[in-house]
Amino acid sequence: MRDEWVTILDNRKINQAYWKLSFKSSFLSRSVLPGQFVNVLLEDDSDPFLRRPFSYYRTKNQTIEILYEVLGRGTRLLTLKKKGDRLKVLGPLGKAFTQSAKGKKQILVAGGVGVPPLVFLAEYQRVSHLLIGCGSKGEVLPKSELKNVKAQVGYATEDGSYGKAGFVTLLLHEVIQREKNPKNLFIQTCGPHAMMEAVIKMARKFGIEGEASIDERMACGVGACLGCMVKTHDGYKTSCVEGPVFAFCELED
Amino acid sequence: MKSKPNLKTKIAELEFKNPVTVASGTFGSKDEYAKFFSYEKLGAVITKTVTRKPRTGNAMPRIWETPSGMLNAIGLQNKGIDDFIENKIPYFRRIKTHLIVNIAGESVDDFVYLAKQLDGIKGVAALELNLSCPNVDKGLEFCSKSSLTYELVKAVKETTALPIFTKLSPEAHDFLNVVEAAIKAGTDGLSLINTIRGMAVNVETMKPRLAKVMGGLSGPAIRPIALRYVYEAKSHFDIPVIAKGGIATAQDALEFIIVGADLVAVGTANFVNPYATMEVIEGISRYLNTHGYRSIAEIRGKLKTEKTNTMGTTAG
Repeated sequence: MRDEWVTILDNRKINQAYWKLSFKSSFLSRSVLPGQFVNVLLEDDSDPFLRRPFSYYRTKNQTIEILYEVLGRGTRLLTLKKKGDRLKVLGPLGKAFTQSAKGKKQILVAGGVGVPPLVFLAEYQRVSHLLIGCGSKGEVLPKSELKNVKAQVGYATEDGSYGKAGFVTLLLHEVIQREKNPKNLFIQTCGPHAMMEAVIKMARKFGIEGEASIDERMACGVGACLGCMVKTHDGYKTSCVEGPVFAFCELED
Repeated sequence: MKSKPNLKTKIAELEFKNPVTVASGTFGSKDEYAKFFSYEKLGAVITKTVTRKPRTGNAMPRIWETPSGMLNAIGLQNKGIDDFIENKIPYFRRIKTHLIVNIAGESVDDFVYLAKQLDGIKGVAALELNLSCPNVDKGLEFCSKSSLTYELVKAVKETTALPIFTKLSPEAHDFLNVVEAAIKAGTDGLSLINTIRGMAVNVETMKPRLAKVMGGLSGPAIRPIALRYVYEAKSHFDIPVIAKGGIATAQDALEFIIVGADLVAVGTANFVNPYATMEVIEGISRYLNTHGYRSIAEIRGKLKTEKTNTMGTTAG
């Protein structure tokens, strides 16, 4: 873990939902695993005051890519950053998705801010399905962003303009129904809390194991402020250090 | 090359290698920042609040960013005094800097119990009495009335030989009376200030941003208020003060030292910049060198105030 000044290589809007930011750092790109994140200082003058956490989207030849949505003032300010501008980046942080699904078929279920880490995972490992939920066609990732994903990619849009009409859990349900023994599946999910809750509920119903990457509002990213706690059977745990990835069985119903 | 200025600071019979420490609750409870620098470089470490029994803390969300600051309602989450003595103190004992343990309770009895547990334990240099946490029941009670402050500080003072620093809230109804009560009861120093209660609302959901509704405001937003309280306390009383409230840079720390602060604690800024304390120490040395001072004592409390006449111009 290190806090480094980096220089932006590129920062551009890629569709209605996402911007893509890239910068180079040998340290911050070294041995990074899907599910880990960085905590980014946007301005060095106390406003906005806190850093903003972002999942790693991709690392290649020391170049780090971050895929982000504009959700508030911080990310709006980030869109104004140009090539050559500097950011202070703390990372790599957090626990990654498990490296062993015990030979089970990995089904990734993503939405919103959960898309980047799961695309990273689908590029990193051979997974069975990558299921993505979003609002409408304009938020669907361009094909070029998924060219290294070997999995079957399924989209669900809330307005029905692309892929399956409805929530991504409909797609997940279809995959589960097609599987003779659903216990052979392993679900990994990241996205809006309501989506993850629905995914976990479905997984439990069919006895499927898995894990969720749960982001809570955080300040420090290093386990000091205790702002980003996640309720587990073993009490509160920090999302930033003990997570963000938690096994379904650790989480409270 | 200029020689290193002398940053040594002596208060409450303790000598600190430099005046820079960390505000309770902003530096984790053990080694969270040890990967960034050696704690030995700090003048002192002030721990996150320890309570008699373990506390799970408040429900989520616990934090919310505000202009140049943040609201928090963590709720003193900690594993309790037994765990602290067993698992945390041995870690700090090996580190060559002073450990100041911050304690809080819901009653005089709780504080006395905690002070007794920590008294005589090797590695503990002093206690900081948290009389001012806004995020727990009765958190502010002991500094809401000078008679309660007096009773509590006196009881702790009679229990322990350790120096005690009393951490007060700027929301104390009659601040200077509360300070006076703490001093009369024998406090060795003050810690000023704790967070100031605030809140924020999500207008879309009409829900408060914090589950606890209200939380403590910290960060640069409260710095001018903290500075004013330290200045007031130092103007009225001859008592050591550990200053805190929005200190993020050496410039900020120097403001507090110039109004008389003995130690300066970096707080919420640790969350944003893990190296903030190290930058503050270096920056203070640079300032002293640049301005030709050989020691920090030469600038402490040296605020230059001039009387102004009714025309607003400086009188002679």
